[in-house]
Amino acid sequence: MFNSAYNRIFFVGLLATTLLASPLLSAKGVFQSGPDFFAEVFAPHKPQSKVLWMTADIRQQAEKILDRPVVGLRVRYHQLDGKTAWILEEIGKEMPITIGVVINQHKIAKVKILAYRESRGGEVRYPAYMAQYEGAVLTDQRKLDKSIDGITGATLSVWAVNKVAALALYYHGLVNPVESTNGQSK
Amino acid sequence: MKSIKPSRTNIIWHRRLGLSVFLVLIFLAISGIALNHSPALKLSKTNLSNNWLLSWYGLEKPAINGFKLQDKWLYQNGNNQLFLDGQSVAPCSAPLRSGVGNAQSIFALCANALVMLTENGALLETFSQLDGLPANVQAVAAVEDSLYLLTDSAVLGFDPDSLAVTATAKTPAALSESLTVMAAVPESLTEQLDETGPSISLETVILDLHSGRFFGQFGVLFVDIIGLLVCILSITGLWAWLSRLRQINQ
Repeated sequence: MFNSAYNRIFFVGLLATTLLASPLLSAKGVFQSGPDFFAEVFAPHKPQSKVLWMTADIRQQAEKILDRPVVGLRVRYHQLDGKTAWILEEIGKEMPITIGVVINQHKIAKVKILAYRESRGGEVRYPAYMAQYEGAVLTDQRKLDKSIDGITGATLSVWAVNKVAALALYYHGLVNPVESTNGQSK
Repeated sequence: MKSIKPSRTNIIWHRRLGLSVFLVLIFLAISGIALNHSPALKLSKTNLSNNWLLSWYGLEKPAINGFKLQDKWLYQNGNNQLFLDGQSVAPCSAPLRSGVGNAQSIFALCANALVMLTENGALLETFSQLDGLPANVQAVAAVEDSLYLLTDSAVLGFDPDSLAVTATAKTPAALSESLTVMAAVPESLTEQLDETGPSISLETVILDLHSGRFFGQFGVLFVDIIGLLVCILSITGLWAWLSRLRQINQ
């Protein structure tokens, strides 16, 4: 393998690059705080902090979307006109993933992983992947209308993001009811 | 050749030894098999926290400290769970630093989040460092209708409705009398926390029983004697078998 000086230099360089790059590729970490996320998505304006109170019906629907019990009497969100931003958590495999979701006019405008705590599957936070969610709306079955590509080794994380995106759309619909053609909200 | 008959005494002692050790041998065999398959049986992950067992091992459950808020106790178990008067109310990373209550709500400052509860213990919301809770908050205090977060050198105002944190001119010393002091939680409440405090794995208990260490030096000596008796049992058994074999051959 090392029959020439060129091969040796190439191998050592490759090894050094891998070792140096591995910490940079680490999946775990807090990437953005909540206040910074809200400041970024509503810039240059300041959104209003509001809460959605969880009634029995809302909790039941939320539990159906997440397929697990939902705790807490209220859910915090930020709003400016018809645009809302939510920070929600969902377990990937073992640890919670903190996900920021921005909804504008009942469509997903942005999804961003704010904190990822699993040791593997962090590819889900790459902007190119997150861009798939943009424009997605909620179907009557409380699912995303778009098919989201999976990631090998990050299946559970992708499912978690899908659920949170659908939940944020559901919550947004509650605080910004869709106006029907006869002027009534539904 | 002189015939060798199995000595009557040899057989009697072989029988006596066998009868005296067989129960112990069966226990040692079963416990040895269990230890050999400890990972599959998850012996090391099965924790025992029986009071008698803990005291046998010289371990004591530590006193659980918490905060008395009017007539209710706010405290934490060893499993990062927050309790209000025996009721599990919310996750809370250790340590529970501070607790305070006002007319409508209860606030628990955990390691990295402020947990907000209704007066009945229902979880309202969790305000974490990721949401904007300053990292160096040491305590939470309530003065009349206002809520304050205390750091080492500053007092911050906190609005539980908007989650806004604002600077104030107050000093931590000025609010020290408004803090709820941590105190030992009554035993009637801590007895319900079976997962709190030290525990011993089932693997350790079986290993100590297998080696005799469970009963101290005498236990080890006992197992040693059982080992010697098994050797003698083997020799007397072999001797009896050889004697009988030679008798048959002659």
